[in-house]
Amino acid sequence: MPAEKEKRIGVFICHCGKNIAGGLNIRDLVESSKQVKGVSFVAENKFSCSEDGQQDIQKAIHEQKLDRVVVAACSPSLHLMTFQRCGEKAGIEPQFVDLVDIRKWTMHGSPQKTNPEEAFEQSKSLIELAVKRMRLKRLIPMAEIKAEHSILVIGGGVAGLEAGLDLADKGYNVYIVERLPTIGGKMALLYKVFPTNDCAPCILAPKTAYANIHPHITLLTNSEVKSVSGHVGNFNVNILQNPRYVDLDKCTGCGECVEKCPIKVKDEVFSAGLGERKAIYIPYDQSIPKKAVIDAENCLYFQKGVCRLCEKQCPTDAINFDQKANSVEIKVGAIIAATGFDEYDPSPKSEYGYGRYSNVITQFQLARLLDIDGPTNGQLLRPSDGKEPKRIVMIQCVGSRDEKANPYCSNICCMYALKHAQIIKEMVLPKAEIFICFIDMRTVGKGFEEYYRRTRELGVLFIRARPSEIVQNTETKNLSMKVDDPEIGRLLKLDADLVVLSCATVPSSGTQELSQILGVKLDGYGFFKEMHPKLRPVETNVRGIYICGSAQGPKDIPDSIVQAKAAASCADSELRKSKIKIPQSLVRTSQLKKGDK
Amino acid sequence: MKLSELGPEFKTEVMSHKEAEGLNLCFACGTCTAGCPIHEIFYEYDPRKLAKMVKLGMREEVLASPYIWYCTTCRNCEQRCPQNVKFFDILNVLKNMAAKEGYAPHSWIEQTKQIMKNGIIFSITEELKEKRRALSLPALKYNGERAKKILKLTGIDKVKDQGKA
Ligand SMILES: Cc1cc2nc3c(=O)[nH]c(=O)nc-3n(C[C@H](O)[C@H](O)[C@H](O)COP(=O)(O)OP(=O)(O)OC[C@H]3O[C@@H](n4cnc5c(N)ncnc54)[C@H](O)[C@@H]3O)c2cc1C
Ligand code: SF4
Ligand code: SF4
Repeated sequence: MPAEKEKRIGVFICHCGKNIAGGLNIRDLVESSKQVKGVSFVAENKFSCSEDGQQDIQKAIHEQKLDRVVVAACSPSLHLMTFQRCGEKAGIEPQFVDLVDIRKWTMHGSPQKTNPEEAFEQSKSLIELAVKRMRLKRLIPMAEIKAEHSILVIGGGVAGLEAGLDLADKGYNVYIVERLPTIGGKMALLYKVFPTNDCAPCILAPKTAYANIHPHITLLTNSEVKSVSGHVGNFNVNILQNPRYVDLDKCTGCGECVEKCPIKVKDEVFSAGLGERKAIYIPYDQSIPKKAVIDAENCLYFQKGVCRLCEKQCPTDAINFDQKANSVEIKVGAIIAATGFDEYDPSPKSEYGYGRYSNVITQFQLARLLDIDGPTNGQLLRPSDGKEPKRIVMIQCVGSRDEKANPYCSNICCMYALKHAQIIKEMVLPKAEIFICFIDMRTVGKGFEEYYRRTRELGVLFIRARPSEIVQNTETKNLSMKVDDPEIGRLLKLDADLVVLSCATVPSSGTQELSQILGVKLDGYGFFKEMHPKLRPVETNVRGIYICGSAQGPKDIPDSIVQAKAAASCADSELRKSKIKIPQSLVRTSQLKKGDK
Repeated sequence: MKLSELGPEFKTEVMSHKEAEGLNLCFACGTCTAGCPIHEIFYEYDPRKLAKMVKLGMREEVLASPYIWYCTTCRNCEQRCPQNVKFFDILNVLKNMAAKEGYAPHSWIEQTKQIMKNGIIFSITEELKEKRRALSLPALKYNGERAKKILKLTGIDKVKDQGKA
């Protein structure tokens, strides 16, 4: 083998104004970098990323005949592409441009900031390692592949639907995988939505209905993603379609089977545990698809081998007890994860008695009770005795902003508490007294402050404090609590007929497993982690996989829509090029079939 | 009340004790106050308010307050605090500072003396002894020597009595 030509490596150290230069000795770093094996040129720039800085780098590449470049500046997730493009313009293959982050040791506000000596040592060794990497690095051959013109969206809530519809309208074939028997997500169950108090199912319906008939959309309900392999442009996805025991093509959604079914169970999902459904059921009137589904765990036939009344009743012979789970393989060019959120289960906050006191409910449960198409047809009745509550207390930040539960602010709870208070005052029980105990009232958003004002106008009372615990009267099931109202300087003893907890928004169950299947990182709270919190909010660590909606963090509908459109736009930018460049090695791996290693 | 007449170094002093480090994190939600059994009886005793008074530097008012000695040590405040502020521990820092500056209440000093003498907090009266004799119970043998040794190590015997100061 002929001896390889020595590489000519240039190192460029950025001051980033005072961000780096203020925290370590750049001159010494230049000198120490000159000593590193393989380095032929070292320079410093005030701002490497500026036009001047980039021109200096390009000039040095030409004059010094450099063939590899190491920039010591800021985070690669922020600027690696900048310097790769800069090098490419001067004739250097992008793979031979590296960026190491030395700013994290010096910049004010950085969690890793340290003293000048330590910063110097850390930076020195980062540069040494990068130079070594560049010295030894061989060119990874790139392959051009044809991108699949199709997209997988995981989660059929408002975010997933919006992203899917955008892409389908652009001509992509879109698969929407939803694990429940209907698409629509939480929004379908909210009755009304702030800040306009529009009817939630009505403004969602144009999206669900369009997704249902869109020529480029395939809806896979009752389904889960089981495995994903491949890479951007060419992902292989295995989806498990759980059996519905009802033939989707034959079922007309008439509901005759439901009427005859003798088994009633608590509806945990669509009525938040406050209503009942049958063993064969249609989730709600606007379900898409509006088709029946059998819950085998509760069905008499599956459990005891008897009954089959639904089958006898069905006018179109749609019931099929022999249906099996179906495994579907698809190929897609990009994936969007829009798996949404769950409401935090407040039972661990035992001082508030949720789960022990029947008249302590969550805001999502209240949303179901207020819904005119919900389990009580919009009547607000206490769970313990079915009576109308005269005094209702809402408690904010339950499990949010709480170092013992979820440290973050859940973003939407102030607004939905105001919404529910308005609905009760305006439409349901105008005479009811409503108290909202809060820490801070956060109404940031267009039209939101006005919404708060409107709620005060309706006579809802706000207390800037929280109770420490709730006590239940065992006979009446009434609740009482003490709150220290700082405005009047008194301890208020509040008796209530109903207490509603504004619970945190947490990642939906199964997010952890899905993150493993996708190879996408999670943040410290278990939501999908974005590439950059400010600049790349819907991209992930895996090229070609995007996130949107409340799967990325607590969010209201307007913000979910914005992110959905952003994710769709990112997927489109990647896939609309007819050819995608990826490392050749990846192509080979992806073409291996499962099992042959 | 003029802010310029208060002493911001009070907060620094309190927070120099490790167990009081969380003081700045309090966001005044009032959960501690609402759960405090003393606050229910003495409105003036208010954990949330005390936290703010320390932050503002109201040294005199905090350390001289008789109420800081009323705490039942139930720890409800820190149990329920969503920000993990250890108010009970902060209160102990305040009480130590107050004691050093001669604000320890008379009753409290008397109780300490009692423990050092008999090893228990209440006094063994003639009446009590008589009652036990009548019930044929053995005589009480209380001795504060061991308690005294321990308490002396803490320096508690040197705490000035506010009542007599
Ligand atoms: C009580 C309450 C009231 C609210 N009121 C309002 C309001 O008035 N206005 C407003 O703007 N916002 C409101 N919100 C917030 C609103 O619900 C969310 O912004 C919105 O639902 C987010 O949409 P999403 O698609 O991201 O998530 P979701 O609505 O949670 O949808 C996610 C979908 O993905 C599915 N899914 C999850 N995991 C998987 C998986 N592994 N595989 C397949 N499918 C999966 C779920 O079944 C679900 O259908 C409220 C929230 C609550 C709790
Ligand atoms: S077979 Fe199952 S789903 Fe059908 S009617 Fe009987 S219990 Fe209901
Ligand atoms: S509970 Fe904690 S955060 Fe709330 S007021 Fe008390 S000390 Fe402050």
